[in-house]
Amino acid sequence: MSTPLLEIRNLHVRVEDNEILKGVNLTLNRGEVHAVMGRNGSGKSTLSYVLAGREDYEVVEGEVLFDGENLLEMEPDERAAAGVFLAFQYPIEIPGVATMTFLKAAMNAQRKARGESELTTPDFMKAVRDASGLLDIKQDMLKRPLNVGFSGGEKKRAEILQMALLQPKLAILDETDSGLDIDALKVVSEGVNRLRSADRAMLVITHYQRLLNHIVPDVVHVFSNGRVVETGGKELALELEAKGYADFDEPNAA
Amino acid sequence: MNVQTPVRLSAAEEAFVGQLESAGASAAAERFRIIGLPTRRVESYHYTDLKTLLSAVPPLARAAKGASAPVIDIPGAYRIVIANGEVQNSGTAPNGVIVSKVAGATLTTRDDVLMRLNSALVSESVSVELTGHVDAVVHIDRRMEGDAAHVQSGAKIAFAAGTKATVIETVSGSDAAHMGNAGSYVSVGEGAEVTHILVDLSARQATHFASVEYRLAANAKFKSVVVNAGANLARAQIFAEFTGEGTHGDFYGLNLVDGEQHKDITLDVTHGVPHTTSSELYKQIARGRGKAVFQGKINVARDAQKTDAKMMMQGLLLSDEAEILAKPELEIFADDVVCGHGATCGDLDDTWLFYLMSRGIPRAEAETMLIRGFLAEIVDAVEAEHVAQALGDIVEVWLGKAV
Ligand SMILES: Nc1ncnc2c1ncn2[C@@H]1O[C@H](COP(=O)(O)OP(=O)(O)OP(=O)(O)O)[C@@H](O)[C@H]1O
Ligand SMILES: [Mg+2]
Repeated sequence: MSTPLLEIRNLHVRVEDNEILKGVNLTLNRGEVHAVMGRNGSGKSTLSYVLAGREDYEVVEGEVLFDGENLLEMEPDERAAAGVFLAFQYPIEIPGVATMTFLKAAMNAQRKARGESELTTPDFMKAVRDASGLLDIKQDMLKRPLNVGFSGGEKKRAEILQMALLQPKLAILDETDSGLDIDALKVVSEGVNRLRSADRAMLVITHYQRLLNHIVPDVVHVFSNGRVVETGGKELALELEAKGYADFDEPNAA
Repeated sequence: MNVQTPVRLSAAEEAFVGQLESAGASAAAERFRIIGLPTRRVESYHYTDLKTLLSAVPPLARAAKGASAPVIDIPGAYRIVIANGEVQNSGTAPNGVIVSKVAGATLTTRDDVLMRLNSALVSESVSVELTGHVDAVVHIDRRMEGDAAHVQSGAKIAFAAGTKATVIETVSGSDAAHMGNAGSYVSVGEGAEVTHILVDLSARQATHFASVEYRLAANAKFKSVVVNAGANLARAQIFAEFTGEGTHGDFYGLNLVDGEQHKDITLDVTHGVPHTTSSELYKQIARGRGKAVFQGKINVARDAQKTDAKMMMQGLLLSDEAEILAKPELEIFADDVVCGHGATCGDLDDTWLFYLMSRGIPRAEAETMLIRGFLAEIVDAVEAEHVAQALGDIVEVWLGKAV
């Protein structure tokens, strides 16, 4: 068997003296889509930030291998160049940085890291036009500063646009469905599905089974109190929806 | 004459006195001998103690032999060169622009040492009168050329009623420890729509002072942009007075500070009549061991009801040893006004940096993008495309400079 794309082993993470992740184990192979479901505050976003490389998290134990490499030693930009992409639960507004300038810088930075030449402006424009068209993103939105004044749903769509342009190997979608209306959910899910391929994998964090009707997962993990407490097939999501989290909580969990 | 015993003069002060005397300005010399350079005890110089900061004064400038290439060359602009204080012949002025030389200085009398020095030492100034829609940008290009020199210069800029125009003044020159002191008196006529920009691009070891007075008549739309991007020690003083109703003024400024530099923007806006509005946005960015100072004061006269003025200073600190100081002040004598001020200062936002880096943008490039973003508001304030481009280039040069 080939090396898994992502291997999280016994990951313990602390934030300001609180242990938030308490021994996460998760293996994701190429071509797979895994869903992660779990209560508010159980540590799902923390896991996604740790994978993307945000500072202020202290890894106290465990390891994360990406394509066999130690992911935790890499800077966030190196992780991105290696193929990690996080669609943020709360995308950040950055006034003063034009969306198009940002997109071009991001695409070219990754190309450069891979030893490829810079995109020409026409090629870049075309790539953005095509990808935004498929996601139903209005061109005038792209003329604004990054995420500034975007509605909640527009921000989520913009995250998926970035993902489509950057073509990551591992996409972590942190509640990309929250804040999307029904039509947008469909458009965004199609965008995600277009990216599914045998050499990519996705970690889809969500609270709702509804998203999983569109993005059908291979595996579902239940997250509780900082670790994966149950792993199953897509029917696990249905079971959760019906019963809630109580049955899955650890005996000693709050 | 019986004068009070002067404090012991510093070498720089002695030099000023000597230069004033040699220029025949004996009354100014006498006064200077008594008052000297301002120390931190003088409120308006509290953060820019000239007595301590000015260690030497180069000799008074002589006529420049040749001029260096312009530091910025704005396509299509009409350029008037003032080299070492002397107004040069400047070719055919565009329609609506009349250029002439006037004797003496141009500033009014204020209790300020730099302005007094300028008034005493400037022997001729340039006068630029603008009328109607002036398409070409007018560029007053002040130079400090040759060996280190003390250069005083003056300009009078008069925008007639209804004029639409952009004037940019820059200071630059040879790579020497010059000391410049530039005065500009700018009058904006009724209903004029005008932008005035002042940029210090003088040499790294130079010292540069600029004082600008604005008089704003009724129903005008006025914009002022001041950028300190050159001298090691710089101070730009802006005095604006609203003298006619219905006028709006936007005041922008930027201090770009690094190394051991000290740059000061001191603003004094007076709403002297009812129904005038202003917004003031000043940004300061400091790295190395640089020090950036902004002092802003808004005065609202007793009769100036319905004044609306909002002043903001934003600072971006890029090193632990750099310093950014801000002193905003409001002095309001009218009761029906809306005035406010605020100041923020911090380093680059970590969450913004993380977001950019998480998309593959390396740290240094991400930081540059954020700094550029921070400064964009000032550059973008200028409508004249080539001028905005030139200001953008100045920012880029600063960003690209090794520190
Ligand atoms: N910087 C921080 N300082 C202190 N506590 C933090 C910090 N960041 C996260 N936490 C805590 O860690 C826990 C997990 O948060 P996290 O955002 O990972 O939860 P989540 O599973 O994504 O929840 P949700 O479903 O609501 O998005 C929460 O209790 C949160 O308050
Ligand atoms: Mg979350």
